[in-house]
Amino acid sequence: MHEEHEELMELKHDPVPGYRPIFFVAITVGLVYMGVILFNTL
Amino acid sequence: MISPLPPAAVFILGALLIPFFKGHLRRIVMLALPVLAFINLIHLPLGDSWVVPFLGQELVLARIDRLSLVFGYIFILIGLISTIYALHVEETLQNVAGALYTGSALGVVFAGDFFSFFIFWELLTVFCVQLIWARRTRLSMGAGYRYLLFHAAGGLILLAGIVMRVHHTGSIEFGLIGLNGPGSLLIFLGLGINCAWPFVHTWLSDAYPEATITGTIFLSAFTTKAAVYALARAYPGTEALIYIGAAMAGFPIFFAVIENDLRRVLAYSLINQVGFMVCGIGIGTQLAINGAVAHAFNDVLFKGLLFMTMGAVMYRTGKINATDIGGLYRTMPLTCIFCIIGAASISAFPLFSGFVSKSMVMDAAGGEHLRLVWFILLFASAGVFHHAGIKIPYFAFFSHDSGLRPKEAPLHMLLAMGLAAFLCIFIGSFPQYLYSILPFQPVGYEPYTVPHVLAQTQILFFSALAFALLLLSGIYPAEIRCVNLDADWFYRKGGRFFYGLMDTVFNNVNRVCDQWLAKGVTGGINRFCRNAPVRISWWLLMPFYRLGKHAAEKSRHYAQTIKAAVENGVVPIGLSAAVSGLFVLLLFFLN
Repeated sequence: MHEEHEELMELKHDPVPGYRPIFFVAITVGLVYMGVILFNTL
Repeated sequence: MISPLPPAAVFILGALLIPFFKGHLRRIVMLALPVLAFINLIHLPLGDSWVVPFLGQELVLARIDRLSLVFGYIFILIGLISTIYALHVEETLQNVAGALYTGSALGVVFAGDFFSFFIFWELLTVFCVQLIWARRTRLSMGAGYRYLLFHAAGGLILLAGIVMRVHHTGSIEFGLIGLNGPGSLLIFLGLGINCAWPFVHTWLSDAYPEATITGTIFLSAFTTKAAVYALARAYPGTEALIYIGAAMAGFPIFFAVIENDLRRVLAYSLINQVGFMVCGIGIGTQLAINGAVAHAFNDVLFKGLLFMTMGAVMYRTGKINATDIGGLYRTMPLTCIFCIIGAASISAFPLFSGFVSKSMVMDAAGGEHLRLVWFILLFASAGVFHHAGIKIPYFAFFSHDSGLRPKEAPLHMLLAMGLAAFLCIFIGSFPQYLYSILPFQPVGYEPYTVPHVLAQTQILFFSALAFALLLLSGIYPAEIRCVNLDADWFYRKGGRFFYGLMDTVFNNVNRVCDQWLAKGVTGGINRFCRNAPVRISWWLLMPFYRLGKHAAEKSRHYAQTIKAAVENGVVPIGLSAAVSGLFVLLLFFLN
């Protein structure tokens, strides 16, 4: 077994610059899309 | 020719033989049990056999029909796979408990009466707890006790319901019940606890990750699926199950996403998948029941496979937290591939087993116009891909490099995982074999239609996109080395509050009682009793002293003399005789 093993207290997921706006745009588009589908089925 | 035995008997009798063998001979015996059980099962005729008269009723130890057979096949199959996976374990307790647990699950499935059903149901708990405690850690001991408490309570509720039911109907036959009275409601709740319904599910996420590496494989297969079988047998078409199932499918996703212990993630995922089955049973159509049963069959395989891959990681590294492992694909490539196959199956990728069964339940919900339930199940499908389909393989085998370079899993573990992985792909590619053993025939369901494949692929790829964007934008919650509480908050935190409340209330009541009763009333009675003879003697004799030659000022001196004489027990005999005589006279006149 490897000797240089380090156990973390917390496994953080640091943001990669530029992805946060993309995430919000994708979420907004997805929610609008879902909303339209839901509205059309009701 | 030897007559076939009740299905449970092969494992139970075989388990009793296990301690008499060692080494390879023991392994051969353990491997022979599922093989013999399968041969025995296919020789049992359809209908009731092994009917035993009991207190004017009939115990049915082998009720063979299409519903019980599906569960019987998969329980024996996972019994074989689990035994192969656990071949390195040479601990008698675990070997015997595993076989007895499998036998008890078969007993539940093939029991045709309440009495034998209840006995096997309780045996499930007993042997399951052994597999939890066998890990012998402080956490596993605690989790085992909590498991035992939950299931003892569930067993009592079930027993109360059975007693009421039998009293009402006069029959111990276990069959279709439906919600139609207090007895049936109690049975319903008793089954629900084993099924891990919301708010009574914590025993599962608490205990399964604390069991032994091999024990968890058995656990993931039997208890909840036996409960699913019982609900399918007794409560098909019960509307409440639709909403209970939808809730089960939805809520565990949130806890699974933030969980650090990857076996606990799988435990939450297990609740999520059982939710689909419960929902299907609640819908109650032939397609829905077939879907629920097919999904139970598949879930035993792919969930067992995922638990086996995480068990192999734990076996080699001694760790299972996402914070501790990562980058293991370098040295455990086969385990990684098997994990991805299990993840693809649970996520219902086309050509994998989950695809051909989960969609049956969803289509049944759509067919019954249960729009909200359908949306919840859709969300649950995306969620399970998120936490079990991506999170498990990603954090165990890729993600950050933990620096661990363990060896590949042992050969027997790879063999067991390979067998389960093969079946996941085989059933996904050729679903007609699974469909041919489902309870309602003909199944008449075609999973591989263009709209279905496209819709499912869309869901999966958008879920993958969501996971990637959450991770890259830094919004994905960090895995933290901690204990996440969900409904167990009520008894972990609530229990502490309850203890504090009881401590405050009852200790204050005790203090007040001590002050008023112990020191007040009883003290007064004590003082009165100590002075009573003196006072009574004084009250009786004082008038005579006042009538006599003695002066009034000397009366206090006589009072003190009498008091001292009574307290010291040296009362002159004449005085005692006078008091006694006066007392008798007083009683005489009062009478």
